[in-house]
Amino acid sequence: MADPGADEPSSRSGSTDQAGQGSKDRLLLHQRLAIRELIDTEVSYLHMLQLCALDIRSHLQQLPQEDLDVLFSNMDDIIQVSSRFLHGLQEMASMEEEQAHLIGNLFLEFQEEFERVYKVYCANYDQALLLVKAYRKEPELQQEIQGIIEAAVPQAGPSGLSFLLVIPLQRITKYPLLLQKILENTLPNASAYPILQRAMSALQGVNSNINEYKMRKEVASKYTKVEQLSLRERLARINTHTLSKKTTRLSQLLKQEAGLVPRTEDKDFNDLEEKFQWVSLCVTELKSNVAAYLDNLEVFLQFRPHECSLDISGGPAEQYRSLARDLQLEVFLEFKQRLEGLVWKPLCSLTRALVGPQNLIKKRLDKLLDFERVEEKLLDVGSVTYEEEEARHTYQALNSLLVAELPKFNQLVMQWLTQILHSFVALQRDLADQVLRRAESSMVQLPHHRAPEPDFRKLLEDTLGQTCSQLHSFQENFEKVLPHPSTQPLLPGSEYQMQALLTKYGPGKLYQVMSNISGTGTLDLTLPRGQIVALLQNKDTKGNSSRWLVDTGGHRGYVSARKLQLYHMAPSEKALRGLVAPHENFQLLTPEPTPAPSPTVQAMTQVVAAYPFVARSSHEVSLQAGQPVTILEAQDKKGNPEWSLVEVNGQRGYVPSSFLVSSPSPASWGWTLPS
Amino acid sequence: PSWIPFKIGQPKKQIVPKTVERDFEREYGKLQQLEEQTRRLQKDMKKSTDADLAMSKSAVKISLDLLSNPLCEQDQDFLNMVTALDTAMKRMDAFNQEKVNQIQKTVIEPLKKFGSVFPSLNMAVKRREQALQDYRRLQAKVEKYEEKEKTGPVLAKLHQAREELRPVREDFEAKNKQLLDEMPRFYGSRLDYFQPSFESLIRAQVVYYSEMHKIFGDLTQQLDQPGHSDEQRERENETKLSELRALSIVADD
Repeated sequence: MADPGADEPSSRSGSTDQAGQGSKDRLLLHQRLAIRELIDTEVSYLHMLQLCALDIRSHLQQLPQEDLDVLFSNMDDIIQVSSRFLHGLQEMASMEEEQAHLIGNLFLEFQEEFERVYKVYCANYDQALLLVKAYRKEPELQQEIQGIIEAAVPQAGPSGLSFLLVIPLQRITKYPLLLQKILENTLPNASAYPILQRAMSALQGVNSNINEYKMRKEVASKYTKVEQLSLRERLARINTHTLSKKTTRLSQLLKQEAGLVPRTEDKDFNDLEEKFQWVSLCVTELKSNVAAYLDNLEVFLQFRPHECSLDISGGPAEQYRSLARDLQLEVFLEFKQRLEGLVWKPLCSLTRALVGPQNLIKKRLDKLLDFERVEEKLLDVGSVTYEEEEARHTYQALNSLLVAELPKFNQLVMQWLTQILHSFVALQRDLADQVLRRAESSMVQLPHHRAPEPDFRKLLEDTLGQTCSQLHSFQENFEKVLPHPSTQPLLPGSEYQMQALLTKYGPGKLYQVMSNISGTGTLDLTLPRGQIVALLQNKDTKGNSSRWLVDTGGHRGYVSARKLQLYHMAPSEKALRGLVAPHENFQLLTPEPTPAPSPTVQAMTQVVAAYPFVARSSHEVSLQAGQPVTILEAQDKKGNPEWSLVEVNGQRGYVPSSFLVSSPSPASWGWTLPS
Repeated sequence: PSWIPFKIGQPKKQIVPKTVERDFEREYGKLQQLEEQTRRLQKDMKKSTDADLAMSKSAVKISLDLLSNPLCEQDQDFLNMVTALDTAMKRMDAFNQEKVNQIQKTVIEPLKKFGSVFPSLNMAVKRREQALQDYRRLQAKVEKYEEKEKTGPVLAKLHQAREELRPVREDFEAKNKQLLDEMPRFYGSRLDYFQPSFESLIRAQVVYYSEMHKIFGDLTQQLDQPGHSDEQRERENETKLSELRALSIVADD
């Protein structure tokens, strides 16, 4: 039987216990409900996203691809992250006790990924909205879009696209609120409490990061674009407003320079900017130097010395040809391609990346000048216009943006530059490796491959010396192919004169004038080129051996010996002219023909004198060239056939037989001697 | 053919046998080609070595400009890397100059010397041609007199012409023989003459690229680089680019 007194406290404590337990239970229930809500909403969220990204998107075919990309942005990435998140949530559905704890951990795990995917989507959202607005202006298009959406998502209502596109934004901001609800229904002393707290503040952090990112992107995109304006557009831009802006900036700058206004010193920023400038310089110089290197490589690749075979097959020449071909067509080409891909291309990307920060830095300075002016005005007047406040905000935004990101930028660029230089070095080594391999295998086939380099060079030097002198001898041999010595033609009509001189002086004394001589002194002769003269004296009266006394056949006088050349005649010609007989000098023969006791008349044959002949004695008779003669005897008294007894012009006498030419037909007179 | 009325100065008789003429043209033709090739090879080698030198110089400029950037004063690692690179480039440039000098001496100069014989050869061939023309002219003259009625003066002239012809014919034949002997010898001499040059060319490459391999091999060791493949390097480049692009201050291009 329960003691009533005893019962009361116990029942009372039991009821407070029960009440306590009851509130505990209620809390737990609410917590469970909150957790349930989290999971359920995630499920329907994901479902909606999938409808959008797959179903609706694929139906919106009339829109161009770029538009679809802008509208839906990186929804696919969000879907991926969300489905993994959901999977994590569903896994812990069974673990009732620890669910809250695990949820907290899960959020902490996923916070970075959420930030990564959502910030992109959120930053892009405004652009998407612009597109949606544009579509609304076209009623037909709008109707179509609306139709497609309503078919898939009836609850979208008239706002259609914008309703759908805002969903991810709503979700990411909802997470902290959901977490808060769970937290509220968790006992402070529960193990899950601190975790959930951390998770909530983490997600709040994620949201503020996303906002900041979005704001920065907006500011940056306003100023980083390099605007390609035409001149007219530029002029249109300059309205009084911008002009006044520019002039006030200039005056502000001047005031700064003059020290009238304290310059807003920001040493940290200046250091940052200086480093940025050096980094930029590094990139641009490297890019232009690599460009020069690549240009020279192009030129080098143009020449194909291996295509000149010199008609030498085999041996080192052949080796070289195949080596050079390999190098030009394979090895160096590959080197060039790798260089372009791993060094040149990144440098171009780097150069482009420099543009954004450069513009922002410039804009920051502009806004700084504006800002300073505003500050001054504030001091003077006490208030500023809205526009002037704007300038201040913009400056501050730019400044904080740059201060936040430039260090990272500089660091990244330096790291990349180092990477690029490493690649450059590695490419050089690889090139050397490739060339060496092929060159060494060519070298083994060379005749002197075992010889060390200094020995080979000595040998080569000696060889080249020898071959050089051999070449010399070839050259000399070719130069020995001389022009025909008597290429000087005889002057017309000089044949007779020459013959006369020849007869009188003999062949050794005849000289030909090589170039026109114009005599100066009274005893000097003036002679044309080609003239034949006979040498009388090879020096003048003063003993000057360069001045010779000559006989032209008509005149005598002095000429410069330099201009004379011995007149060559071929041996046979000389013989024919009766001067140097086949075996002996004319003069050594019997000076006179032995006359026959009595001339016997022989059979008449028509014979002609080929050359003129001057009789030197009464036994001889003179001939004129072309004169018909009658041979009385074809030999002299001693039987010497070199002389013939002839009758010419009524006279009889001996003449050299070689001066005669026989002719089968009767002669007809033609040729007359010049007198 | 005898029905062709012959011009004054052109003999009817084929004074140089066709085979002789053909031989001569063939030998001379080969030499003319060789002259052309020698000249072209010399020119190409010169341009190739000039481009080679230019490449080396621009490589030196790369490291020189890097070294003069103020970044080197702030960043010790950067300075070390750039200094090592600069040393390597300067050494390679010196070796390259040596290589080019060797090529100049053992390939380009010999080519030039070989080429310098050709003017004498061409002159000699011209003189032979002149002698041939003289020969033809005088041959025609003789034939002219042979055709005419044999009068006294004609006979005299015929004799004279024949005697004039003889030395000219002998001169031509001498020149012809001389060239037909020398030309093949000269052509053949190219083999022994040029093979050493080509050997020298190959060896010069081996010497230079051995140095290059050593120097850049050492440099890669020194810079503590892992041996990446090209794909790996490309991926690294892509990564860096996207890291840069993730920054707001970098404009999208």
